[in-house]
Amino acid sequence: MDSFKGQEGIQMLLTAEQEAQHIVLSARNLRTQRLKQAKEEAEREASQYKSHMEDEYQKSLLESSGSSGSNVKRLDEETEDKINNLKQSASKVSNEVVDMLLKHVTNIKV
Amino acid sequence: MNDSDVSKQIQQMVRFIQQEAEEKANEISVSAEEEFNIEKLQLVETDKKKIRQEYERKEKQVDIRKKIEYSMQLNASRIKVLQAQDDVVNNMKDAAAKELLNVSGDHNVYRNILKDLIVQSLLRLKEPSVLLRCREDDLQLVESVLDLAVQEYAEKANVHAPEIIVDKEVYLPPAPSDDNSHALHCSGGVVMASRDGKIVFENTLDARLDVVFRKNLPEIRKQLFGGAAA
Repeated sequence: MDSFKGQEGIQMLLTAEQEAQHIVLSARNLRTQRLKQAKEEAEREASQYKSHMEDEYQKSLLESSGSSGSNVKRLDEETEDKINNLKQSASKVSNEVVDMLLKHVTNIKV
Repeated sequence: MNDSDVSKQIQQMVRFIQQEAEEKANEISVSAEEEFNIEKLQLVETDKKKIRQEYERKEKQVDIRKKIEYSMQLNASRIKVLQAQDDVVNNMKDAAAKELLNVSGDHNVYRNILKDLIVQSLLRLKEPSVLLRCREDDLQLVESVLDLAVQEYAEKANVHAPEIIVDKEVYLPPAPSDDNSHALHCSGGVVMASRDGKIVFENTLDARLDVVFRKNLPEIRKQLFGGAAA
């Protein structure tokens, strides 16, 4: 009688022990999974960040090419103006200069 | 112990085992969460930092490229302006060169000019015997003032009258015409050389224009372009 009951009891303990191990094992597995998830989620966040940065970068590229285009135009216009002013002031004094040059050529100091 | 005591004890032990397992599982799960958060945060921060640096570098490169481009364009436009200045000034010289052709047209004035040129050349060379070359068209005018010039020189320099040999075989090239404006030409004046040909003095109108132009260039440029010309 006693030994039979004893067997039952031991069986119950063994079963409980097995279940306990299962519980702990599952918890450990979950932990491992969780760490993997950490990597995956981190990657996802990082690539989101990267595409955000890329968009900002592309936007700034567009802006700068636009502004440099207008800079070039401004520069060209300024240059044109300078050259036109040059030509104008030159034509004003051109005759004077030519006369002066001729005078020096034909006035011979002996 | 009786049966019920034994089974109670066993049940207690079973419960104890279960509780321990659940507590342990809980600990594991809590620390798993902590580790998850820490790990994820660290990974994200590291990656973000790398990404930030990468884009900073990219932006800097773009900036540098823009600056280089702008500076190149600035240079190009400066060169354009300088070139225009040069053209303007050279156009004046060309205009003067054209006017030179009229000088030899008025024979009276031109004859006097030739005489002065010959005297000046003699004074520069200070040689007792010289060669003189002129344009074929000017030969008559030159010969008509030769004696006068020689005398004037002899007086001014206080020397004996030098010997002047006019080259009648090789003449200076003729006045430029429209169809050969790039060929050698001469607008007037003379070229004189020592007898041995070693010292040559170019006193043509064209050579004089060159000298006058070059000498007055700084002044002309200042007048036209103001202070520091680019």
